[in-house]
Amino acid sequence: MKILYDWLKEFVAVPFSPEELRERLSLVGIAVEGVSHTPAGPLLNLDLTINRPDCLGHYGVAREVAALARNELRPVSIVLPEVSESAARATRVEIDCPDLCGRFTARLLNGVKAQPSPDWLRKRLEALGQASINNVVDATNYVMLELGHPMHAFDMDRLAEHRIVVRRARAGERIRTLDGVERILSQDVCVIADAARAVGIGGIMGGAETEIGFSTRNVLLESAWFDPISIRRSSKALGLRTEASTRFERGADPEMAELASRRCAALIRELAQAEVLAGVVDVYPARREPLPLELSRKELLRVMGARVPDSEIETILGALGFAPRRTDETRGTPDSLLARWQCRQPSWRQDVTREVDLIEEVARHYGLDKFPPRLHPSKQPAARLPHALPEDRLRERLIGLGYQEIVSIPLVDEEEDALFRPAGVLPARVANPLAEDASLLRSTGLVSMAHALAWNLNRGQQSLRLFEIGRAYRVQNGAPEETRIVTIGATGLAREKGIAESARDYDFADLKGDLDQIGALAGGFVWKGDTLTWQSPTRAGQFSLSNDKPGWLVVSVAGGQTRRIEWPGGTLIGAGGQLADRVAGKFKLRQDVFLAEFLLGPFDALYQLGREARKYQPISRFPAVERDFSLILSDGTTFAAVRVVIAALGIAEIISVDAVDLFRGRNIPPGKFSLLVHITFQSHDTTLTEGQLSDFSSRIISALEQKLGAALRTA
Amino acid sequence: MPEIADIIRQTLAALGVSTPAEVTARFDALRAEFERDTTSARDEASWKSLRDAWLGRKSGVLNRITEQWLKSAPPELRPVVGRSLNELRAHVEQGLESLQRSIAAAAEKAALARERVDLSLPGVIRPLGSRHLVRQTFEEIERIFLSLGFTVVEGNEIETPYYNFEALNIPEHHPARDTMDTFYLDLPPGSKPHLLRTHTSPMQVHTMEKQQPPVRIIVPGKVYRRDNPDATHSYVFHQVEGLAVDTDVTFCEFKGTVEYFVREFLGSAAKTRLRPSYFPFTEPSVEVDASCFVCMGKGCRLCKFSGWIELFGAGMVDPAVYGFVNYDATRVSGYAFGLGVDRLSQLKYGIDDVQLFFQNDVRFLRQFP
Repeated sequence: MKILYDWLKEFVAVPFSPEELRERLSLVGIAVEGVSHTPAGPLLNLDLTINRPDCLGHYGVAREVAALARNELRPVSIVLPEVSESAARATRVEIDCPDLCGRFTARLLNGVKAQPSPDWLRKRLEALGQASINNVVDATNYVMLELGHPMHAFDMDRLAEHRIVVRRARAGERIRTLDGVERILSQDVCVIADAARAVGIGGIMGGAETEIGFSTRNVLLESAWFDPISIRRSSKALGLRTEASTRFERGADPEMAELASRRCAALIRELAQAEVLAGVVDVYPARREPLPLELSRKELLRVMGARVPDSEIETILGALGFAPRRTDETRGTPDSLLARWQCRQPSWRQDVTREVDLIEEVARHYGLDKFPPRLHPSKQPAARLPHALPEDRLRERLIGLGYQEIVSIPLVDEEEDALFRPAGVLPARVANPLAEDASLLRSTGLVSMAHALAWNLNRGQQSLRLFEIGRAYRVQNGAPEETRIVTIGATGLAREKGIAESARDYDFADLKGDLDQIGALAGGFVWKGDTLTWQSPTRAGQFSLSNDKPGWLVVSVAGGQTRRIEWPGGTLIGAGGQLADRVAGKFKLRQDVFLAEFLLGPFDALYQLGREARKYQPISRFPAVERDFSLILSDGTTFAAVRVVIAALGIAEIISVDAVDLFRGRNIPPGKFSLLVHITFQSHDTTLTEGQLSDFSSRIISALEQKLGAALRTA
Repeated sequence: MPEIADIIRQTLAALGVSTPAEVTARFDALRAEFERDTTSARDEASWKSLRDAWLGRKSGVLNRITEQWLKSAPPELRPVVGRSLNELRAHVEQGLESLQRSIAAAAEKAALARERVDLSLPGVIRPLGSRHLVRQTFEEIERIFLSLGFTVVEGNEIETPYYNFEALNIPEHHPARDTMDTFYLDLPPGSKPHLLRTHTSPMQVHTMEKQQPPVRIIVPGKVYRRDNPDATHSYVFHQVEGLAVDTDVTFCEFKGTVEYFVREFLGSAAKTRLRPSYFPFTEPSVEVDASCFVCMGKGCRLCKFSGWIELFGAGMVDPAVYGFVNYDATRVSGYAFGLGVDRLSQLKYGIDDVQLFFQNDVRFLRQFP
């Protein structure tokens, strides 16, 4: 809403400059975005909240100025000479739908000389962004901007039988509105009709056929009140928002209808030398008594926490039209704790219906800055999210391993999501997406990760390590479901060339090593060879948690609820590996890309269990001894198989078995490979002797020979 | 030292020295010669030859003098020759020793200069990641409110219209819905309707349904609005909702909490201003403004020449909301606020485009280690 500073001054003495007024109004809740200068004087651009339709006119804003300046608001004075002929004889108004139209007033003006408006009027309208049309139409707009009440003028001679029927539109009824558009109406829409057809959409826009033109002689001036919800519905359905609909949908003042009509008729009479017929035809089914309201100091204190003096309360509520009256027993005692005021709701403030609303009125004009700030004494311990701790550990480990955190928009492209979506997952689709490539909530974080990698690769960033802690979405049994996940993506160099080191590409072993270091937080991952469709068939795998046991597991799911779910031991929680060429091509990723993702719920649960169960392991006082075994194995034999065979020997002194070198070719027969296994022995009770060690070694070698057909490689 | 070599091969008599003064003069000349020799010795090898020349067992200068001058000296000159010889020996020994020390020191210095690492060369850098800026802001906000006794809770992003709107006093035809354009889910026929939450406020209702007062919570999370993306709009952004409800919570406590937050988050110089506003789920409602930290309140483009920057919306919980969760509105009171995490990060770090938060360009992310 735009407000002219000089126009305000017609209703109230303004003891502030436009800039001061901007600040003052903002501090009572009438936000002013800025002040500009127009041929009609300084202009304030208001950014009104939707609860204040009373400020959609200069008079309403003047009331706020009067309250904050403690100045008097001048009444709207209207001198309206009428001719003796009565309006009630010349027309008839019926309201068939009092649920949609609560009041309809009609005034009649004869002998109108429709012509261009005088300069002073055009100047004001134009400064407020309203095009000047003719003096009659301009008068209705002018009074709307002044008093906030929309009106409409009909060419009386074009109304069939010179009468008005306010009714619901007939199904499929058509009307051409003032903007020249032919509109088809539904029965929910309130129309203003004459004896024959609709001549206007009630509270939204008039019809073209009864429009005021320069040939118009006689005018029927409508000033009505329409139900806010019905206006809102109709305006949405018709896709038509007007100055009128904005005011009616937020709640116009039904009492203002008649006053505005009188003001407008006086203005048309003056501008267009019209005769005004006596009286007004006023059908007012929505008339009601003002709502009684009560304010007590006790409640004001309970909500606000500080006292406001009686005089302030009474001045503020009085200036805003609430007519406060002290009603309690302690009336003689100023600022009594028992003070109560009986008030009544002014017709222009239908947003104020409760005591708390009155408290807000008092507080905003008293000044929010006058309430002292206090902090509460803490009575409760504060807690972080249930999964905050494992998430911190996970995040810090990823960051330490060189991964950069990303945050992405979970709305993704349907086809791209399908490339990663696990079989059987029903995705969560958006019914009204803004764009095709954001029409679905992602089934996994991998889509977003592929995009983030592509974005950076396209901008010259070749070596990337990224992670996201986010959610995956799906529909399960007809209801949406959100799951916490972590997604990892890497490409380019694992190590940059430097003075002390040579460059090396990021490879599957980097991904696996990083994942295993993360998995160690929750007791470790167990890898399995089956690959998913997005994964490379040779350099990828899936994993479960190594410590999980069949049964129930406490898992914190998205939403903060802790939920126990059945978690069969060995259930896969994630997958990692190189992105399949087919999928990489879709994202135009031209270098090897590695991705991984796993579920955080079970990870968090096992992190917590591990943390609770953790105990100190004594460190042996006796020296550890290391032995290398250079094995020749057949292709397809896994390191895991080697470990299993060694573990089966039950040698308690073996404290670790590692693979430290692997190669094929030179001196190794085809179909075989060489694996260097590094074993560490240590006892808690004694220093191991050479005899014990060679006994262990020969048992290990013979077991590997028998179980795996391994041969010991001689140099 | 050809001259010296010649002199020390002769006896004093042969040199024509007959008085103690002449003896002293001879020794002074030798001492001067030694001084000259030491200045030319700069390394270990030349020091060694200098030592041999003077102190050598057979042909050293001092040995020769002992043989030639002292042994053959007439009795009247013997004392003076003996004393002068001892003085010269002491001088030479001492001079050689200090020369050796300074040569060793110089050699060590040279070796250090050669072997010293160039401290301006880079060390081996193992790449480190960092937290996303939005995450950092979340953690900063959580830290501040945890210190005030607020517990962190989380909610689903997919909500029902009841929790997102109705229970927050936003009935179906409320104009406030226009300011929160909403994404709805396309679910199988017969499913309950769901939407993507437009604010983190639904968790107010969920929490109050489950828990009696006192309630002090904050709710971090993603929210969705169907706005066309540009430099100031993203259809996904982040909020932290706050809610405090108890039998004695007042506007004054709300104000104290908000002012504390603003000072902690923007620095102790930041001033706070509360401006009356409107939200369907708070009454009284306010916008929280902070003094503009660019112009310090003088007026600039960022603050639209008002000296103040709008930070977030807040207010006392509207009693209507208590009706939806069976709280006694005559007994309890409280306040709520909704912090825009992206907006607060933008303001704090001068980021002019909200899209940067979601593009995940590492050149942006690495600026906030």
